[in-house]
Amino acid sequence: MCETCGCGNPDEFKIHGSNHDHHDQHDHHHDNPHDHHHAHGHGHDHGHDHHHTHDHEGHSHSHSHDRGHKKVINLNMDILSENNRLAERNRGYFEGKQVLCLNLVSSPGSGKTSILEKTIHSLISTKKISVIEGDQQTTRDAERIEKSGAPAIQINTGSGCHLDAKMIHLALQKLNVENGSILFIENVGNLVCPAMFDLGEQKRVVVISVTEGDDKPLKYPYMFQTSNLCIINKTDLLPYVDFNVDTAINYARQLNPDLQFILLSAKTGEGMAEWYDWIRKLNS
Amino acid sequence: MHELSLAMEVIDLAQREAGKHGVSSVQEIQIEVGNLCGVEADGFQSALELLVRDSILKNAIIRLIRTPGRGKCLACDVEFEMLHRLDVCPECRCFPSEISGGEEFRVLSLIV
Repeated sequence: MCETCGCGNPDEFKIHGSNHDHHDQHDHHHDNPHDHHHAHGHGHDHGHDHHHTHDHEGHSHSHSHDRGHKKVINLNMDILSENNRLAERNRGYFEGKQVLCLNLVSSPGSGKTSILEKTIHSLISTKKISVIEGDQQTTRDAERIEKSGAPAIQINTGSGCHLDAKMIHLALQKLNVENGSILFIENVGNLVCPAMFDLGEQKRVVVISVTEGDDKPLKYPYMFQTSNLCIINKTDLLPYVDFNVDTAINYARQLNPDLQFILLSAKTGEGMAEWYDWIRKLNS
Repeated sequence: MHELSLAMEVIDLAQREAGKHGVSSVQEIQIEVGNLCGVEADGFQSALELLVRDSILKNAIIRLIRTPGRGKCLACDVEFEMLHRLDVCPECRCFPSEISGGEEFRVLSLIV
């Protein structure tokens, strides 16, 4: 395991540039620009040492008490605190450049890439768009996106099941995201893990398709609770499947009363205009 | 696997914090896992035990402290134990309730 950043297998995580250079990268640059450590040693003759560490960035506050051989370092730190810190940095970068960043999450095969291809075709004449693609293996999706006319960076997570804020941070160093543009992040097809990892996006969009079960929201509640918009894709197949749109929406609303819904078919184009309007309202 | 990624985050955090305190081995790590935090505790513990091999936690006892889910009914203010996020209020059968506990997922302490 990588001792520095905690990732599982440093050889597996790769970022492929938009020019398909297939250059494998594993960046071990760790910067903590705002870490302030104030160590106050209180020496007591009775052999009871107190160390107080104040980490201003992560808001950790630890006290260590030396009692004989055992010392307790109290941390009370959120396990995802490092990811959340990097996500906030990404968010600040997007805000500074007035970039609308949308994180698309779904099961494999729900049609995220097809939706993005159509979206790029329709909006690229009026909007600058770029894409970060996350998959365990291959650069196929990034190649599909580039054919649609938008620069794309492919992140291969290897055995990893989600994108995290650090991968996005590194991808942004390679992808020239223009001011005022739209950045789509297509997360790894997985409704479980990506729910816990904030990437710094402005909105999270969960995509389900009518070929899946309409009880999907109940099975994967965290993803529906943390998303802002739910796209129900492949509506052209509704006459042939048992998917009940109202049932799916009701389940999802029980979990997240603020969740918005758009029904569309990337294949026929039905409902796509509503999706474009939703994007334009955020990026005006 | 979800729990595997999270176990990696824990090891990273432990190494970072132990490093700040200048310690090179950890005897015990205490981790709070709320019952509603979205992490399957047994799978998480197994993942962590698998991954600590080459890390600062390799000899550490991994102690998970489970905290129950707590809900507060938005209609009648009754507080109750939640086993699932979609539980209705046991008094007035209303939904939803505000989740007031059980979402914790944090490293409480390292014993070094």
